Amino acid sequence: MDRRRFILTGIALGTAASLGGGLAIMGWQHSQAPDSSNRELVLSALLPALLYGALPQDATLAAAELDRTKTAISDFLPFLPLRQQQELNQLFNLLANRISQLGLTGYVTALSDLALQQRLQLLNQWRDSYLTLLQQAYHGLRELLYGAYYGQSEHWQALAYSAPRFR
Amino acid sequence: MTTNHLDASQFTQDQQFDTDIVIIGSGAGGGIAAEQLAQAGFKVLLLEEGAYYTSDDFVMQERWAYPNLYQEGAARKTRDQAIGILQGRTVGGSTTVNWTTSIRTPQPTLDYWQSEFGINFSGDTDLAPYFAKAEQRLNIHQWPIPPNANNAKLQQGCEKLGWQYTVINRNVNGCANLGYCGMGCPINAKQSMLVSTIPAALALGATLISHLSVRQLHWQGDSITAVEAVPVDQYFQPRSDIRIRITAKHYIVAAGAIGSPALLLRSKLPNPSGRLGKHTYLHPTVISGALFDDAINGHSGAPQSIYSDQFVWPADNTQPGFKLEVPPLHPVLMATKLTGTGQQHAALMQQFNQLQVTIALLRDGFHPRSQGGTVQLDSAQQPLLDYPISDYLWQGMRQALLAMAELQFAAGAKQVLPIHHDATLYNSWPEAKAAIQGLPMQKLRQTVVSAHVMGGCNMSASPTKGVVDINGRHHQLQNLSVFDGSILPTSLGANPQLTIYALVWRNCQQLISSLQRQQ
Repeated sequence: MDRRRFILTGIALGTAASLGGGLAIMGWQHSQAPDSSNRELVLSALLPALLYGALPQDATLAAAELDRTKTAISDFLPFLPLRQQQELNQLFNLLANRISQLGLTGYVTALSDLALQQRLQLLNQWRDSYLTLLQQAYHGLRELLYGAYYGQSEHWQALAYSAPRFR
Repeated sequence: MTTNHLDASQFTQDQQFDTDIVIIGSGAGGGIAAEQLAQAGFKVLLLEEGAYYTSDDFVMQERWAYPNLYQEGAARKTRDQAIGILQGRTVGGSTTVNWTTSIRTPQPTLDYWQSEFGINFSGDTDLAPYFAKAEQRLNIHQWPIPPNANNAKLQQGCEKLGWQYTVINRNVNGCANLGYCGMGCPINAKQSMLVSTIPAALALGATLISHLSVRQLHWQGDSITAVEAVPVDQYFQPRSDIRIRITAKHYIVAAGAIGSPALLLRSKLPNPSGRLGKHTYLHPTVISGALFDDAINGHSGAPQSIYSDQFVWPADNTQPGFKLEVPPLHPVLMATKLTGTGQQHAALMQQFNQLQVTIALLRDGFHPRSQGGTVQLDSAQQPLLDYPISDYLWQGMRQALLAMAELQFAAGAKQVLPIHHDATLYNSWPEAKAAIQGLPMQKLRQTVVSAHVMGGCNMSASPTKGVVDINGRHHQLQNLSVFDGSILPTSLGANPQLTIYALVWRNCQQLISSLQRQQ
């Protein structure tokens, strides 16, 4: 196992352990609260990876699409059951915190320092993990992020899709 | 908006109502009941957790429709998150957002209910007249327009292989073939409860309260004594600052097959059969995508106009049957279901208009190894469905993936993509067949969805085998009925709306005579 791979696995396992413990220990309760800066940090790292190939080449246009998607995510979250909102908050908070803790150790300063392909690799490791919790995180984030991106009519050009107009 | 509509989110203080009949839920069950009971002269109060929207609100955009018209923003999942559930939560319930397919209850399903649950719908209790009434009321007819390409491929595949198929009956009037049924019909063509029975009931004096979440039924001895409810906020979350209390002569629960059992569980109603909230069925559904050279444009045209029952009733019962249909294709629905990430996902999305999608709905609940799920309550007392998928169902799903791939190649597909996280695009039927036989059929690898929730308050002749009787009356509480899909003892092997309309119509006639005898 190379060093990079070891670190990625460490993030994944650390997240799982924290989440698992977090659900059981009252001390983690605070981390279920929404923290928009943690969410922003995690989305800023994961969206460009997940949407690689979908985002426009032009950096300004891509940034606008990312902002629109992040807004759509924060607009959508309050409609989820509180139980699910808490799980997502916990995931965002722990991912953000786990990343900064690792940063202190000197291995990784932020998830955003990983190349796009490495961030995708991280997500795919969750999908293929033996831990159900990580698989759930993969599917939960994937649906939330893709749903938010493709819900925006501004992002449909590549699909050649438009809703009919009749009024 | 009619003056007979109250929006509970606007209430500024506690409220009390008294009525003849209170109906909790305004979907297929509650909508039919509201009109029937209002016509019979009863004072009806119809309660709905969702909002009261009209066609002007239906902007044909998923980003508006899912959070505003669906349970849990259309992101409802089973407990282990292995099955996604599409279920309406708005005035009209799922009828406001369904895909209009209207099918009478299959005879083998009725036969099974008779043998297993003592529920006999023949002779005096024949449902046929009620199917006919509902079909007339909601303008249910065979769809006369040629199917869109998405449905046509299903038909062509069936023709090539000699498989059975049927042109679908739809509850529409003046349909413009737009394809946006799932986001609320923008032209009031779909004859949902929202535009048919509910306005009729309101015109007859019924009152609708929207944005209201019923938290508890109070009961004593063999009677319900009151309903306790709270308003919901703009995100449809129950509030705790205001309480609404409703008393009635008779109480009808029609909150859907997750909502109704959850309400009865929260209220700790008697449950001697032990079946309350148990045996919840989903028609667990697997998906197969196929790329064609020609344009499919699955977003355009009536979403469902062809189905195939080739596999729904297999000769040997060691396999669950499955029904073949197609879904409408819209960006969010596709993006969230197509597999992969990054470039791979983007490339599939770019072929959106060449994508044909077939779905297989498994007929669950007809076998000892297919006993459905269980409705539970989370720490906020909100419902959560636990639905473990048995090996029996997984094997049925593999058969379904095989059938769909064979069909899509027969219809001329270039490539087929079973929606499974270990599958890729396959270039031929032999290649797909070999690959599908090797796919691990496991939760969170095989994508499973549902748009039909049934059971949890099942009807039975004997109180030991169910929650309500053949007329939807609660076995233990004399002034309580359950009138929705939760009373079904199994899944149906067919889309459920017409079954619910007919059953509830019949149940209302029984209830009206019984209440009139009491007066």
